[in-house]
Amino acid sequence: MQLMPKGSLSAAIATATCGLLGSLPTTAVAAAEVAPTLAKPWVVDSALLYYGESDDRVKDLSLKSIIRRMFDEDRSLSVNFSVDSLTGASPTGAVPTDSVQTFTRPSGTGTYQTAAGALPLDDTFKDTRYALSGNWLQSIGEVSRIDIGVSASTEYDYLHVGANARYERDFNQRNTTAFAGVAFGSESIDPEGGTPVPFAPMQAQGNSASKQGSDSKTVIDGLIGVTQILSRRALVSLTYSYSVQDGYLNDPFKVVSVIDPVTGRPVAGPAPGLGRHLYENRPDSRAKHSVFTEWRYAFDRDSVALSYRLMTDDWGVTSNTLEGQYHWNVSARRYIEPRVRFYQQSAADFYRSYLVNGQPLPEFASADYRLAEMSAITAGFKYGQRTQHGEFSVRLEYYKQTTKTDDPKIGVLASYDLAPPLTAVVAQIGYKFSF
Amino acid sequence: MQSDTRIDVHEDRGFYRGTFIAMANPCEVLCQTTDAEAALSLTETAAHEAWRIERKFSRYRDDSVVHAINTSDGAPIEVDVETSRLIDYATTLHDLTEGAFDITSGILRRAWRFDIADRKPTEDDIASLLGRVGWRHVAWRKPILTMPAGMELDFGGIGKEYAVDRAVGLVAGGATLAALINFGGDLRTVGPAPASGAWQVGIESVNASGQAGNLIKLRTGALATSGDTKRFIEVDGKRYGHIIDARTGWPASDAPRSITVAADTCLQAGTFSTLAMLQGARAEEFLREEGVRYWCLR
Repeated sequence: MQLMPKGSLSAAIATATCGLLGSLPTTAVAAAEVAPTLAKPWVVDSALLYYGESDDRVKDLSLKSIIRRMFDEDRSLSVNFSVDSLTGASPTGAVPTDSVQTFTRPSGTGTYQTAAGALPLDDTFKDTRYALSGNWLQSIGEVSRIDIGVSASTEYDYLHVGANARYERDFNQRNTTAFAGVAFGSESIDPEGGTPVPFAPMQAQGNSASKQGSDSKTVIDGLIGVTQILSRRALVSLTYSYSVQDGYLNDPFKVVSVIDPVTGRPVAGPAPGLGRHLYENRPDSRAKHSVFTEWRYAFDRDSVALSYRLMTDDWGVTSNTLEGQYHWNVSARRYIEPRVRFYQQSAADFYRSYLVNGQPLPEFASADYRLAEMSAITAGFKYGQRTQHGEFSVRLEYYKQTTKTDDPKIGVLASYDLAPPLTAVVAQIGYKFSF
Repeated sequence: MQSDTRIDVHEDRGFYRGTFIAMANPCEVLCQTTDAEAALSLTETAAHEAWRIERKFSRYRDDSVVHAINTSDGAPIEVDVETSRLIDYATTLHDLTEGAFDITSGILRRAWRFDIADRKPTEDDIASLLGRVGWRHVAWRKPILTMPAGMELDFGGIGKEYAVDRAVGLVAGGATLAALINFGGDLRTVGPAPASGAWQVGIESVNASGQAGNLIKLRTGALATSGDTKRFIEVDGKRYGHIIDARTGWPASDAPRSITVAADTCLQAGTFSTLAMLQGARAEEFLREEGVRYWCLR
């Protein structure tokens, strides 16, 4: 076949075929009309996940599924749904003390007690959350793609609706991709018993003086970035994102205790047997800037990914996240992916472990440990195995977080850890298949 | 001895499907019609043409043209117009592939016994047979063919595709309905595309037999597949397909496991898939250079 110039066999064969069949084929060869299609247009990716914190704190069991239908090479529809069942308890922000404490439940219809020396935990948010989202992805011309979606989620006291859009364009023979995205979200919160008035004291059971009605917030996110292929084996990406939230940003279940400047115990509250714990007060807007970069490299058999994110916001929180993961292809069908992540954040300007009785009230205050100075490490692995129809995977991760508070341990507080370390375990089983 | 000559026609989701066995393959004719008579008539025409070609060119029948040639023992033999045209076509392919495609290479199957699993032939096996292979040894002066004793002709490489095109030719004149003629995976459409817009053809995956790998939507035209999903030998982890290069006696190395080609006629599609297999590792590149629509499974 070296004798004939490339591409001319078709004509010779067409002529020969004509001679044999006795009729002229309409063109040299591939005039057959073939509609583009995909072998397996559906992909279903599901996972059952268990998340459990130590010391009777939060436990979450969730089932999630992503169903994707590809219509052709360029267009697809994805639908995600998930159900989360949350149980366990979370710190309220109140301080431990050397006697039994009684707190009123956020609903106002009950109370709960915390043992002496124990960190007050509230399990009121035991709940089931449902979330649903849909995304449509399609190509525009040869080198651009657009992805638009809507999302919604609900718990009995909370509703979120949102919309998102993302645009990507390739340059340099598809070695460079630039992308930009925007998302809007609107959330309303209507806790049982009402949202608390900021800095109002926790009242006795049945007293709703410190509560008001439902509230809401809006979120706008934007991002721009670029992914660059560096070589046959490596790529790097860089993304800048900006997020602004406006509205009710408080956690309605969190309080800050007012303590005596000498004894460190909570001072008396508005009812007998109840300490003085004020509902937290955060600013009604939050703007975050974030820069993220990722580098991926493919070896002959395996691959590695390293990423770093820097986030800073106008609440005074600055965080760093460094993550690395190695994808080890043990065989053609199995892989193991160990992963480790380091996280560190500074405290929000208004983070306080407590308020001191007699001192002027600050403009904002929150004792939510998630706004404190903390560092955390996550380590684990994922194991995956290809089956005849899809892929089965198992993921196991261990999380340890240590929190630091600057507030002096006044009086009895010297005996307690106001922000004890938290450990958690994540176990997930997943199955993905196409048809 | 004629094999199974049963024709079954049954209705299937708005189509009529006529099935029969020909050339040792399951064959079917799909028609988009509510007229059972028309469907039966179409199927019968296709089946009779397939059986006619099978009878005429079968290696195994002692009343076939091929048998007459193979037992001619070096004597000149006169062949009819249809056989002449087939031989001319085979000659063109032989010249275009510089001898890799050769209708005298059929006897190499004795070394490559695909029914005995995992037995690779030795160099001696091949060498002894290669002495009896080579179109250059055949004197073809249409309509007289003179083939040395000990050599054999085998139209297996193009026979099925030829039968599909012939059947389509016979049926197409009277057909205004959308139909698909499929002889064991080599197929071609008749008339307009079906109401849904296209025929859905699944190509068997190379891994799990019976599972469709690619799904092709064919509006009009033909598809032919060369591949080793069923007939192959695996030795020491290497799969040896059944398209043998007549010059060496071996299959091309690193050929794809399966190649499906779309073209106007089944003959063109089948020719390209066979030629691509002979290219081995270069199969896809070859098909791209020729501007051919293809699906390869490696």
